Amino acid sequence: MAPPLHPAHLIARVNREVERSLLRARNGLRYVAGTHRPKLGATPKDVVWRRGRAQLWRYRRGPAVRYAPPVVIVHSLVSRSYILDLRPGSSMVEYLVNAGLDVFMLDWGVPDELDADNGLATYVDGYLPRALAAVRRETGCRDVTLAGYCLGGLMAALYAAGRDDAAVRNLVLMATPIDFDEMGSMVAALREGRLSADDLIDTTGNVPAEALYSGFYMLAPTTEIAQKATLLENLWNDQFVEGFLAMNQWARDQVPFPGAAFRQTVQVLIRDNALMRGVIPFGRGEVRLADISVPYLNVFAEQDGIVPSAASEPITDLVGSEDATDLRLQSGHVGFVAGRQAAKVARPQIADWIRRHSDEL
Amino acid sequence: MSGGRPLWLRAVLRLERAIGEPIEAATRSDAYFDVVAHATRAHARTIGAAEEISRRCLHLLNLPAGTDVRRVREQLARMERRMAALSDEIADLEHGRDAAAG
Repeated sequence: MAPPLHPAHLIARVNREVERSLLRARNGLRYVAGTHRPKLGATPKDVVWRRGRAQLWRYRRGPAVRYAPPVVIVHSLVSRSYILDLRPGSSMVEYLVNAGLDVFMLDWGVPDELDADNGLATYVDGYLPRALAAVRRETGCRDVTLAGYCLGGLMAALYAAGRDDAAVRNLVLMATPIDFDEMGSMVAALREGRLSADDLIDTTGNVPAEALYSGFYMLAPTTEIAQKATLLENLWNDQFVEGFLAMNQWARDQVPFPGAAFRQTVQVLIRDNALMRGVIPFGRGEVRLADISVPYLNVFAEQDGIVPSAASEPITDLVGSEDATDLRLQSGHVGFVAGRQAAKVARPQIADWIRRHSDEL
Repeated sequence: MSGGRPLWLRAVLRLERAIGEPIEAATRSDAYFDVVAHATRAHARTIGAAEEISRRCLHLLNLPAGTDVRRVREQLARMERRMAALSDEIADLEHGRDAAAG
């Protein structure tokens, strides 16, 4: 039997509930009205290079830069890069900058029909080397720590493996799909030919953002109910509401997948599962993951529903690096770049690994 | 973990899982993707047919259709990409010449 409640405790509890109800009402009105949207991607930055829709940002250094080489993050082709700089206090970029690193982000922008012919090589062999040349001009450093998130990790790995002049000191892959046989049912439907690439490509020549969103949404269509109920319970908490809105906005904010890159992904990466064979027909030749010999960190998440850990894990056995580290996290696809697990484990450990593999200035 | 959650929230979360698990099993099944494939192909055929009709009507009036504009944009994009490739080649050549001179 529960102990009797002291009157003072009862009054305090009633007061707290009244206060929370008022806050819930206020935040509920703001939520419905759509005002007070959180500011996303707020870490100050400058555009230092651009080509087509791609932009290279350099984040302004608050405290002095204490480590070299600079860190260049290559973002995915199908999502918005602000997931890595979600909001102050919940930002991978902000953390790395505050850790004394010189951070750049390669953002691919939002493709339209003008980009429908862009294959993976357009990005890996066309844009990426030029963006890295811009980093060299900006910093005077010859090499970089190259980090990639999701498909961006795949592009970073293809770049590091495929070029003798890559000038990559360290490679960090985050939630990067390698074994496409482990990528879940939608990818299986593409692999088995029940869905073809052309079924998903629209008249613009690209896979529309809505198709990508509905593909991810249908993986767990009812979780929105649980999310909304949890929001209702925590509606009094400004921090929670802000985090919820930020993550919710990002999850709905997909970008189209350029058609040629998508066809290549389906044929080479999904149907042939070429990455797992270690030899990828790419550009004008072949790329071998075993040619990656630089220190390498593979970060993947146990509860990732988009890129399951079984799809990310095998790359460590395929690269030729002697210094290869796995960082396994207990979170989901975005839970390790934003959220509690990210703050406690992912951000500190990733920053620490990069610092240990950098020169102190 | 769930100790701090009120009873109503725990009930909603349990209900969501009870409904969600069979739905997720269905949306990850072969049959679902067969339906998606048929639906997207039917949708594309319908859009294609509608565009064909509207294009013919607009061409009768000597007006450009959306598909014409799209084709022109694609050609422009190819030209833009070719120009970018050429300017890269020139930059690389200049870089090589400077390196040889320096």
